[in-house]
Amino acid sequence: MRPLATMETTLAEVRPPRAAREAPVPVRVGLILHHLDQLPTLPAVAARLLELTGSNDSCAQDVIEIVESDPSLTAAVLRLVRRADLGVSDRTMTVHRAVVLLGFTVIRNLVLSIYVFDTLSQREKSASVHREGIRKHSLAVACVADMLAGHIGPPMVAGEAFVCGLLHDIGKIALDACLPKSYLRVIERVDRERACICDVEQELFGLDHTVAGRRLAARWKLSDPILECIWLHHQSANALVDSVAHPQLVRTVHLADSLVRMHGIGYSGYPIINDVDELLTELGLGEEVPVEVMARLPERIKPFIDIQNPQDSSTDPCSWQSLTNVNRQLGQINTKLRERNRDLELRSEIFETLHRFTHRCSREDGVGDVCAAAAEAIRAMVDAQCAVAFAGDPSQPFVHVGVSNNSDPQAGLIPQPLVDVIDLGSPLEVEGLLEGASVGQLAPASEHCEPIWQQCGPKSSEGRLWMLPIACEPGWISAVLFNDCDDSVRRFLSARVECEALTSSVRLALSSANTRVASERMNQELLDSNRRVRAAQQSLVRTHSIAMIAEMASGAAHEMNNPLAVISGRAQLMLAQYEDPELARSLRIIVEQTQRASGIVNDLMGFAKPAPPQSLVQTLYDMLDMLCQHWRTTFKLTEHQLMLSVNDPRVTVYADLDQLREILTALVTNAVEATSGETTRLQVNSPSSLSDETVRIVIRDNGVGMTRDVLEHALDPLFSSRPAGRGRGLGLSRAYRLAEINGGRLWLESTPGQGTTVTLELPVRAPQD
Amino acid sequence: MNVMSDIRNKSVFTTGEVAQICRVSQQTVIRCFDSGRLQGFRVPGSRFRRIPRASLVTFMKTNQIPLDKLETGRKRVLVVDDDEAIVEMFTELLARHGQFEVKTARTGYDAGILTEQFRPDVILLDFKLPDINGNVVCRTIRSNPNYEHIHIIVISGVADPDEVKELLAAGANEFIRKPFDINAVISRIAEAVKVA
Repeated sequence: MRPLATMETTLAEVRPPRAAREAPVPVRVGLILHHLDQLPTLPAVAARLLELTGSNDSCAQDVIEIVESDPSLTAAVLRLVRRADLGVSDRTMTVHRAVVLLGFTVIRNLVLSIYVFDTLSQREKSASVHREGIRKHSLAVACVADMLAGHIGPPMVAGEAFVCGLLHDIGKIALDACLPKSYLRVIERVDRERACICDVEQELFGLDHTVAGRRLAARWKLSDPILECIWLHHQSANALVDSVAHPQLVRTVHLADSLVRMHGIGYSGYPIINDVDELLTELGLGEEVPVEVMARLPERIKPFIDIQNPQDSSTDPCSWQSLTNVNRQLGQINTKLRERNRDLELRSEIFETLHRFTHRCSREDGVGDVCAAAAEAIRAMVDAQCAVAFAGDPSQPFVHVGVSNNSDPQAGLIPQPLVDVIDLGSPLEVEGLLEGASVGQLAPASEHCEPIWQQCGPKSSEGRLWMLPIACEPGWISAVLFNDCDDSVRRFLSARVECEALTSSVRLALSSANTRVASERMNQELLDSNRRVRAAQQSLVRTHSIAMIAEMASGAAHEMNNPLAVISGRAQLMLAQYEDPELARSLRIIVEQTQRASGIVNDLMGFAKPAPPQSLVQTLYDMLDMLCQHWRTTFKLTEHQLMLSVNDPRVTVYADLDQLREILTALVTNAVEATSGETTRLQVNSPSSLSDETVRIVIRDNGVGMTRDVLEHALDPLFSSRPAGRGRGLGLSRAYRLAEINGGRLWLESTPGQGTTVTLELPVRAPQD
Repeated sequence: MNVMSDIRNKSVFTTGEVAQICRVSQQTVIRCFDSGRLQGFRVPGSRFRRIPRASLVTFMKTNQIPLDKLETGRKRVLVVDDDEAIVEMFTELLARHGQFEVKTARTGYDAGILTEQFRPDVILLDFKLPDINGNVVCRTIRSNPNYEHIHIIVISGVADPDEVKELLAAGANEFIRKPFDINAVISRIAEAVKVA
């Protein structure tokens, strides 16, 4: 609640328009103020009477003169004396005597009660029900306030309370007088929607009857106490600030107003019945006082009603009493209906929110999108500056968030909610999040939510931080956070079932999004693992054949090297014995061939069980450059026939230097053999850059290429597309093996007649453990 | 084979034989034996003294007695291989060289026994044997300080670098891969025992 001191500035600011959706408010306010200023002034008689009450030196003679100057007033006063049954006969009655008998104050009140309402009603001649009702309500409030003032005692002045009560709703009459048709709409809407008349006035006019009444009172130059009562009689008892000069008077009128409304007397257009306990305490009155006062009300109000409606037969004490009872019961029913209405309104707001949320959600939404939809719907519901919905796995330090901000007053647009994933640094605590709150119920946000709000919420957020927990269980956690500046969220606290329905829907949408994301991920994983299985199968086949070769080679190495050693040894022995050159030559061939046979066996073993790589990080370019020069010499190639290009000379490779050299030599040898003589053209290039995790060396030749069949078996050990007996067919498969044990890959692409491209991929740096 | 060579090949000696080898009187030998300077044992059930070869060598070295009466001039080579053809070839090769005395074994167990009896200077050892592998044979021989001087050359058709490393760690002096250059093998042996 804003302090009243700040309300002095402009009328439009008095109450922030709760639903200023329709038209420019300042224009309407200006119009109404203009109309108010056009209202007739108080008749001279009434003004004079008010003046008299203000000064203590007023004498009965003045009053008598005023009354006598107006015949209708004289008649009314005499009628009042008669009805008051003071044991005086008509014949002896004069105005002078009546004033003495009734007292000055009563006369003054009587006069005012007639003049004030008549003055304002004179424009609209046809009396309407509500206008009559307001008059009756005002009279009742006046009487009750007067009686209450009597109970409170000094410094309360009895007559003053009556005037204040009488005039407290003058703003309604004024507005009605200014804009009769519009005001009828107000009344109709209040009746239909069971709304507070102040809110409806605010909405339609931009100001309410308290402000209008204050304006009129000021114009009529009514005294300060009256002015304050008109202005502040709806303020709660303890909300009055120190600057209010007559707080007790204001409270008295407020209490009287509440009591009269409670009994349903007249028409006030204000269906909400306040709790009077607070007011009673503030005024120092006992609980029995209202009962007593209300019991005496019919008797007190009677003269005034009589004056208004001399022929009204329903105003005798008995019928008045019964009418009051009926009114009270009606009032009670009214109260219940009103509460029910308020509940229904709340429900409709929540279900509207639910509708907005489901409307925004779609089948393809991810968790973040659902969060955004929830944040937007709930922000609109509670009318917050910003709302942040989050959802995540409490074992992870990440959460999905959706952030909705309200419209920027300048831009006038509602920004699209943001979807994001934020890093919290550490996982959320499931137990800590709720802190006594429960899922589906609004509660002040726990401090565990603050990091999220700080990351996603507005830079400067006002008011208190609230949360609506959506889910809190092992596996996932979710809530909506929002700030509330004017405590308006409290009204949703009672709607527990509806809030739970809302959160259940959000939870369902979230879990369906979760499931969808999970199933998509599973699909992806299934695809991946299928691919891996296929690769593993291929690798298994290869590994299996390699294992077989290793076993065979290991056995063969021993079994074959023994006879080879014998053959070789015997031949050498014979060489030493015989000097026949023919024989010696044959013997030497035998020795050579045994060496060759042994070499094949050893190669096979090396292929199956290569030495573990002694890897180092080295600059790729230097090595490739040196190797290319070496190959040019070996294969007799020009620089044009063997070209080297490296994208970034700083790129490194992590591999066993000797094995890498062997791989590359095998690949280049293969390429050279696939091409022929003059037309040989090789390209060695490395398209990798520094930021890559792996480095690629591509060796491209313009040779004969490979058919599909050859390509399929190119990496198999002992496979050679060349005629049998030439080469061992281990070059490529050994290169493949070595690439593999160095943590890399090797693959071939080839088109017959166009050449072959071999790509070798190796890590750039040592793996980090 | 004469009497002398018989004595040379024995592993346990009588006091008379020791006197002959050391060129001293039998009484002196008995005195040394009894005083404990010459280690030995008595034959169970009798009082005959017996001196094992190792303690005799120790005794002779301690007293600076020349060992020529105990040793032949030729170096002893033990060939261990389960392949008959290899063994036969080495026997022929080393015999032709003339400066080597050769004995052969087929198993690791035989190799152990012959090391004890034959006291080879060089062992040509195959890695893969029917009972125990060459590395175990190496380790067993090296565990006896009396055989420290034996030069072990492993000759094998298996060339796994890890296995070679293990063999050298187990006590082998060098490794030669099959098939080999016979002249290279001979020169390796000759160099090991300093025979021209």
